[in-house]
Amino acid sequence: MEIKKINEQENTLEIKNLVIHYISDEEVVKAVNGVNIIIKAGKTLGLVGETGAGKTTTALSILNLVPEPQGKILSGEVLLEGRSVLSMSEHELEVMRGDKVAMIFQDPMTSLNPVHTVGHQIAESIEIHRKVSKHQALKQAKEMLELVGIPSERSNEYPYQFSGGMKQRVDIAIALACSPDLLIADEPTTALDVTIQAQVLKLINELRQTYHMSMLMITHDLGIVAEVCDEVSIAYAGRIIEHGTLEDIFDHMRHPYTKGLFGALPDIGVRRSELMPIKGLMPDPTNLPSGCPFHPRCDYVMEVCPQSLPENKWLSETHCVECHLYKDTNESML
Amino acid sequence: MSNVLLEVKDLKKYYKVPKGMLHAVDGVSFNLEKGETLGIVGESGCGKTTIGRAILRLVEPTSGSVIFDGVDILKLNKQEMRHMRRNMQLIFQDPFSSLNPRKTITQTIEEPIILANMIPDPDKRFMRVMELMDTVGLAERLVNTYPHELDGGRRQRIGIARALAMNPKFIICDEPVSALDVSIQAQILNLMKKIQREMGLTYIFITHNLAVVSHFSDDIVVMYLGRLIEKAPSETLFANPLHPYTQALLSAIPVPRIHNRPERLLLRGEITSPINPEPICRFANRCNYAMPICSKEEPGLIEAEPNHFVACHLVGRGNGCSFS
Ligand SMILES: Nc1ncnc2c1ncn2[C@@H]1O[C@H](COP(=O)(O)OP(=O)(O)OP(=O)(O)O)[C@@H](O)[C@H]1O
Ligand SMILES: Nc1ncnc2c1ncn2[C@@H]1O[C@H](COP(=O)(O)OP(=O)(O)OP(=O)(O)O)[C@@H](O)[C@H]1O
Ligand code: SF4
Ligand SMILES: [Mg+2]
Ligand SMILES: [Mg+2]
Repeated sequence: MEIKKINEQENTLEIKNLVIHYISDEEVVKAVNGVNIIIKAGKTLGLVGETGAGKTTTALSILNLVPEPQGKILSGEVLLEGRSVLSMSEHELEVMRGDKVAMIFQDPMTSLNPVHTVGHQIAESIEIHRKVSKHQALKQAKEMLELVGIPSERSNEYPYQFSGGMKQRVDIAIALACSPDLLIADEPTTALDVTIQAQVLKLINELRQTYHMSMLMITHDLGIVAEVCDEVSIAYAGRIIEHGTLEDIFDHMRHPYTKGLFGALPDIGVRRSELMPIKGLMPDPTNLPSGCPFHPRCDYVMEVCPQSLPENKWLSETHCVECHLYKDTNESML
Repeated sequence: MSNVLLEVKDLKKYYKVPKGMLHAVDGVSFNLEKGETLGIVGESGCGKTTIGRAILRLVEPTSGSVIFDGVDILKLNKQEMRHMRRNMQLIFQDPFSSLNPRKTITQTIEEPIILANMIPDPDKRFMRVMELMDTVGLAERLVNTYPHELDGGRRQRIGIARALAMNPKFIICDEPVSALDVSIQAQILNLMKKIQREMGLTYIFITHNLAVVSHFSDDIVVMYLGRLIEKAPSETLFANPLHPYTQALLSAIPVPRIHNRPERLLLRGEITSPINPEPICRFANRCNYAMPICSKEEPGLIEAEPNHFVACHLVGRGNGCSFS
């Protein structure tokens, strides 16, 4: 999918035609198959899709951290504030990570240092990135701990004294403390309880505004998207099959898969209503369907669908879709 | 009253841990009628799984009683319990770790049938397995596959087929769809509803996902740190939650719509420790409405309106509810 060129300067992140495969002796996993993403300065993009859709792989490319040697970036560009990440030197990457881009990892790699207290580790990050005094930094670190749902008296404890979920929250606090230009949050709240999740999302929203942060929010939860995102890209089998503003996607969703996702959600407080699941399973990335990757599950499948990959079509200034049902206007055959 | 299938009375499960006594489940009571579904919700560690396992006596309750179909099952001996358990099955959260990786689908599903010596004839038993696979929507060609060859949705279908193998009356579903993608989750939820309708099953449905529980349940129990803090018919609970924790829980769910978004009621702080809890309201340290009495006395469960029970000092102090 091609995204229209706006003023390049306004974009914090631009990913163009990215293709990433995991190649081993036995198989080729086609994880990312031509992804285009734009995140405008100060905006939050939600990247939504089910397991295996290629969300994490796409995100890792922004930090040039796609796992080697299997992970191969076969083509495409990743531009961070106009500069190509994929051609940065190791030194430039070091500087960029943490300062310009911070990532909350889906599986926290427990980047925490076992010999320092958690409060110390958050404060250190605040001191470096927000340029405040040590004293101020410690105070802010305690506030951050409270905000991620950990009593501030526990700031003097060491990582081994924390549960997995608490360590993840410390990871979140450290990433936020960097006040990066771009925050990549890969399913940051899935392990948290909803009341704690609500606290963390509020914290993320506040910091985003205060520090004019751009954000890539990876999630499969459309509720979280509605809460924090400005725009949404829906990923399926390593492609962005629909993209638009919140209104475009929530009120005028067009792709049969996007419609299916919404239909499959139980409504809160509504009982006995039959859900409308999408039939079938996510495709096998080592053996993707021909043509439109959604065609084996699609209720609207037509003769052309297995034959050719639908092109990206713009339905409005902000809304585009990859599906043979749509033409380059607002009209559709649905 | 004759329609009650399960009666849980003052059920407790304490664990001895180095720092003291961990009150995993602390005096929980409820009834469940035949063919109905009871949802149990609450945050991680509040005791949902422990309740389920204690009802089935997969862990021995510390005290209380569990009356199933008129029988106090905590009084049964091992053999009687084994017999009783045919009627009561469990579906696990993690469809992967709950299946034996060295057994094929067929072997997994027929195992309980063999153990109970229900269908001695191998051909007839195989027919039964095929019938069960058909019920849960597993294709015949999968008979000889192993769990690792299957996706999460199909693995959960095996778990369901295995639970159905003994023709149970009652199934406890412990987070049966939490590990699944939404599109697969919806397939499994629809399947579980269909089976319930066709076989007249009674369910306890444990989850932390309130959308799922509201879709599924007749009554809902909300737990907090081992205590039952609110219980009501599903519609009532969502329309008129009385406990401040239930209110916060409901308002914390991210709703997938962009108009008419509900106001957020945010909490602060951590869940307190379940070890040696003091006899006070266990939610007091996070509660936006806490009063002095909340840190002095534990609120009892009262019926605030018909069939709507709540344990909170704000409710039922003479003048009913002090908030709506
Ligand atoms: N290091 C790796 N080696 C081989 N295959 C990989 C590797 N990492 C990911 N994959 C595969 O690439 C595909 C895309 O994975 P990715 O982690 O990007 O998906 P995702 O959208 O983040 O999924 P999830 O929602 O489960 O996190 C999957 O099929 C996955 O199994
Ligand atoms: N065998 C055990 N020994 C000691 N403590 C235990 C044991 N099993 C559970 N607990 C404790 O009992 C409490 C309740 O645990 P339980 O697994 O029932 O919670 P849960 O509500 O199912 O949580 P989750 O949503 O995370 O599954 C927790 O504090 C847990 O740490
Ligand atoms: S292109 Fe065809 S198969 Fe693909 S989503 Fe559109 S209608 Fe369905
Ligand atoms: Mg991922
Ligand atoms: Mg549990």
